[in-house]
Order: sequence, then structure tokens, then C-alpha cells
Amino acid sequence: MELTALQQDALIELLNIGFGRAGASLSQLTGHRVLLEVPKVTIHPIEEVAQALEGVIASDVASVHQIFSGPVAGDALLMLDQNGAAILKELLTSEPALPLAIDASAREVITEVGNILLNACLGTFGNILHVQVAFSVPQLSLESVGGILESLRVHREGVRYALVVHAGFKLRDTEVRGYLVIILSVASLDRLLREVEAWERDNR
Amino acid sequence: MIDRALPTRTLLDLAARQWFDELADRGIVVTDNDLIVCAWNSWLVEQTGILADNAIGHPLFVVCPTIAARGLDEHYQRALAGEVRVLAHRFHKFLIPVSKSALPTGATEATQTARIVPLTSDGQVVGTVTIVEDVSERVVSERELRNQILVSERARNVAEDASKLKDEFLATMSHEIRTPLNAVLGWTQILRTQGNIKSRDRALEVIERNAASQLRLVEDLLDMARIVSGKLRLDIETIELQTVVQAALDVIEPGATAKRVAIVADFEATPIPINADADRLQQAVWNVLSNALKFTNSGGTITVSVRRDNATARLIVADTGQGITAEFLPYVFDRFRQADASTSRRHGGLGLGLALTRQILELHGGSIEVKSAGTDKGSTFACRLPVADTLAQAAATIKPHLDADALDGIVVLIVDDSADSREMLEVALRAYRASVTTVDSVDNALAQLASGSIVPDVVVSDIGMPGRDGYELIRRLRSFAEPIRSTPAIAVTAYADPEDRMHALAAGYQLHLAKPADPSVVAESILSLNAARSSSAKRHRS
Repeated sequence: MELTALQQDALIELLNIGFGRAGASLSQLTGHRVLLEVPKVTIHPIEEVAQALEGVIASDVASVHQIFSGPVAGDALLMLDQNGAAILKELLTSEPALPLAIDASAREVITEVGNILLNACLGTFGNILHVQVAFSVPQLSLESVGGILESLRVHREGVRYALVVHAGFKLRDTEVRGYLVIILSVASLDRLLREVEAWERDNR
Repeated sequence: MIDRALPTRTLLDLAARQWFDELADRGIVVTDNDLIVCAWNSWLVEQTGILADNAIGHPLFVVCPTIAARGLDEHYQRALAGEVRVLAHRFHKFLIPVSKSALPTGATEATQTARIVPLTSDGQVVGTVTIVEDVSERVVSERELRNQILVSERARNVAEDASKLKDEFLATMSHEIRTPLNAVLGWTQILRTQGNIKSRDRALEVIERNAASQLRLVEDLLDMARIVSGKLRLDIETIELQTVVQAALDVIEPGATAKRVAIVADFEATPIPINADADRLQQAVWNVLSNALKFTNSGGTITVSVRRDNATARLIVADTGQGITAEFLPYVFDRFRQADASTSRRHGGLGLGLALTRQILELHGGSIEVKSAGTDKGSTFACRLPVADTLAQAAATIKPHLDADALDGIVVLIVDDSADSREMLEVALRAYRASVTTVDSVDNALAQLASGSIVPDVVVSDIGMPGRDGYELIRRLRSFAEPIRSTPAIAVTAYADPEDRMHALAAGYQLHLAKPADPSVVAESILSLNAARSSSAKRHRS
């Protein structure tokens, strides 16, 4: 499945609004200017996401996972490779890096950053859809992309798709790359895309 | 259906209530959607000192004004809009301030992480739940871990640095040791193939100079090893500083003249007495002077001044040479350190000289400092030594002049496994008319002594030999019958530490000479030992 040009444009525009909000929050939080680049969006059946990501994210990743529920429901994840996570944490807090696995304070930092980003993006979707989206408490895990997606697949039924948002942060002249992965059922994806198209048409 | 007194729902409610109030090891606040506090658990009462009755029914930002004052109220607005908020300790430090008595010793504020979650009913936000966790212990242990990692990383860096320095040093040393050897081997080759007298003198001169320079290198290395292992012993006597400095100047002067570097000596006229090992101190001064000469270009000047400042003697060596960069200045006296360790460097040497100088001066209770205004601005080395109370009458040791037939009639047995050493001594002692027998092992020496084929007046023996060593030789010799048993013996050995000397004397040698031994010193020693023995023998007879 591929996104139409209209859907692409609309999603990117919405994400940009969300990213703008997240960037402002992160800048305020850290006292450094945080820039989020214009995202790139692709769509994949969930079975192909690992393949699509494993080329770009090496081995284990730090992922912040939130379940969202409501008329549009699914899983939202921010994935950073561990190097990216370490850089992000150091840039944000100026503390030398410990391995994330033994640094609970650093895991909290990444969790809060992930939470801000995910809330900003999904909150924006919720706003245009005029629905209340409820979030679970964010969870951080350290494992391979395949492992994360596998655990998401076992607990849900039906054909599912993933919106993959390629995100880049820039802070203190250093670039950190990450991926926002939003996993939706066919129904939720369909609803989202229809609403997004309608919003795009209304705004032209 | 399970038969219970109360339905599951009620039991769960009770459990939740009990957990909320008593069991939870963290703070829990519940508010309605106007942020009026509805529940305040006992953990919070304990930590904040605010009773539940004083919290419940009041706006959260009134109960805890700092939440709004620190801008954290925004998270509550977001929670009311349906978002979950997590507050990392690293970013926010704490959410709900606690009373002084609840803080760990030394802490001035709480250490918390928090979660603020919307409370929903039928898809509508009806309030918030805040969970606050004290993470002070965790933060402390993370900090300790981080420090440990930093410390071990630093230690690793230091070790890597030291190992790199030693590698550089080894490379330099190999180069420095090989260079004179090349000259020695090359000229030896020429001597072997060409008989002509002119090149023979030149060859011998080069060989001698290079061998001497290599000896100096090896001595520097050994000195360094002795100092590092604390084995360097000083032979302290009261001497004049001026004499020592002049002796070092005498050595350096020919080199300075050849390089067209002027040396200006400016000594205080009154002798300055110091307690020092004259040889070691001269070596230290020579190192400073030769360093100055090495880095001063033709046409430059080296000023050497000796002054007394109350109880402190000062030696200042200032040159107009290439100077020292500010970056290298702190490392000048470090072992193995050279400003330019590259293979293309212009100046030879091991980088040990100044390190040795500092160590020797410190062993004398003195110090050395260096100043330089930078590249091409020259350098100034300032040495300080404590002045001695009085200048004892320096006993001039005048080398006795040996006559060409000084050892005439004296029978010498030389024991050494090295053919070169045997031969060198044999030739040198024969020149004084000694009657010399050489053997290459302790076994052969003992056999000759036992058979009576030789009755030496003096035995000269190496210590380190394959099979039986020089210690064993002397022990066995001392168990022979007279006159062999009381034969004076000299150990000539590369084992040159004071401990080795003690060991040799304890084993039964009368004298211990370090290799390479000056043949004239060996000859003198033989003469004096023999004379002592003859006179004691005469006393016995009379």
C-alpha cells in the first residue's frame, strides 16, 4: 500500500504542526533550541516494518511505546538507536553517558522526550479528527526492532499497517535521527486517512 | 460463582483504597477536573508534613504553590486535555516539595520522578492522578557508578599514555644504541681490511668515542632504573659546589668550542660548601649543561652562574637556544619525554638526562626548575641545593702513578667466561709485567689451583658465569689450604649495584670493581692488595 500524494502532503503538514509543538516543548524543557526537521512518511504492512527499519537502525534500539485508544486506536513508538539515545540524553542533560541499561535516570529522560513527541503528533491527529485519544503511560524498552514489533503483533489481531515517520532532531549542532512508528488497524488507518484528506481539502 | 461475603468489585475497591493509603511506597494525589485535591495519601503526609485534611478540598496549586511557580502546572493542563505526562528527575528535579526532616542528610531539595495521568470516565477526563516517586537513592548510586567509570577511564588513559611513552622511548633507545654500534662495527671492518696507519688512528678514535657514548647511555638507563627502584646510593661528602660545576664545564667546553657556543661562567668567589655525591652531582650538572648546548645554535651563549643565597646554593644555567613551548614546559623533567619524539627529530638522546638530573638533585635535598619565554626565546634552568654547615677539608685523591713494571713478578689468575674481557685484562696487566694466567670457567680455575700448577698472588674473577659463578669460586678458594686460601681476590663484574658489591665482599672478595673496569684501576688494586698481603705475611713471619 502506498500513500497518495495528497495523503503524503496532508500527513507531513500535520506532523509538522505536531513537531513544531514538540520542538517548542523540548526547547523549553532543556534550555537549548531543539529543531525538528520536516519529516518523511512511509507506510508499510506491519510484517515489513522491521525490514524497512533494520536497514537504518542498527541492532538494539531504545523505544518509547504508548498505546492509544479511542475511535482511532493503535500503538505509537519512538525508536532511537542506542547511540542516538545516548547522544540525545547527553545533549539534553550534560551528563556523561552510562549504558542505558543501567542508567534509570537516562531512561527517564528518553521516556519524557518520547512522550512529548508522541503526544504532540497523536494529539494533533486527535485534534483534526475531533476525537479524544487516550494514552497509556509510556514504556521504554531496549531490544531489537524485530523483537519490539513481534511483541506488538502477538497481542493484536487483524491486518495492521504502520505509518513510519523518519524524524531528525537537531540540537546544539548535533543531529539525532529517530523513527516514529504508528501502528494502526486497517479500520483506524482508513479513518485516519479519510479525515486527513478531508482536512487537507478544507484547508486549501 | 464463588461464594463470598463481599463481591469482587467491592474487594478490589477495598484493596485499591488500602494500597493507596498504606501500601504504596510513593506519593499519590488525586484531583478533580478543577484540580481540587480529592485524595492525598499517607506517604505524602509523611514527606510533606501536610495533613490530608489540610490538602483535601483545596486547589492543588494552593496546597503546593511551587508547582505553578516552577511552571509545572502546564503538565496538569495537558493531563486535563487527555495527555499522560512523565516528569524525569534529570529535567525537573522534583514535583512536590518535601519537608526538611524528610530529606536525606545533606540534600536541600527532593529527588523525584513523577507521572501525571488523566482520570477518565466514559472517554471524558474527570480528573488527574499524580504519582510521585523518591529516586534519591537511585540517583546517588548512578552518580557513584558514573564516577567509578570516570575514574577507571582516567586510569586507563594514564596507563595508555605511559605505555605509549614507553613505546616511543624503546624506539628512541634502539635507535640511540644502534647508532654508535654502526660506527664501531663499520670502523672495525675498515681496520680489518685496511692496514694503513692513518685510518687506524681515526678508526680507534671513532670506536672509542662511540663506545664511550654508548656506555654513557647504558649508565643513564641503569641510573634511572636504580633511582626508580630506590637503589641509588649516594656517596655523600662535603664539597665545593664551584668545583663540581667547573668539572662539568671542563667536560662540556670542547663541545661548546666546536659548536661555536660561548660559555660565560659567573661563580661566587667564596666557596659554597654542599653535602653531595661529587660524581652524581657532576653528572646532574653536566646533563643540564649538555642539554643547553644541544639546543643552542652556533653563535649562542650559555651563562652559568653559581650563587649563595643564605642557606641555599643556586646554579643557574641560561641559554639563548631554541627555548621550550608552553605546552612542553610541564613535561621537561618527565622520564622518556622529548618535545620532538619523531624519527626526523634533529636532536639525539634518550630523554632521560633531565629526568635523572631532577632525581639526583632531589636525592640531594635540592630541586630544579625551568623557565622559557617560548620558542627561540632561550631557556633557564635554576637548580637549588642546601648549603652545608662547614666545608670539610676535601681530601684530594691523587691517582698514584703506576710504573710500567709495577706488577713485575706478581702472579695473577684471571677467571672470566668472556674471551674479550679475559684478553683485554691479560694484555693490560701484562703491560705492567704481571705474570698472567687466564681460565674461562670456575671449574678450570679450581682444577688449576688444586693441581698446584698455579699459585696466584691475586685472583681477578668475573661473577656471572655459566655453571659455577664467581661467588662459588671464592667460597671454594677460601676452603683450600694455605697459601691459596688467603689469596686476595677482586670481583670485576657487570653486577654493579651496591647490593652486588656487598654480596661479593660478603662472599669473600676483597674488592669489587664494576665493568667495564679501567685496566689501570685493576692494576692499582692488584698492586695494593698484593702489598697488603706481603706485609701481613711478613708480620706473621716475624
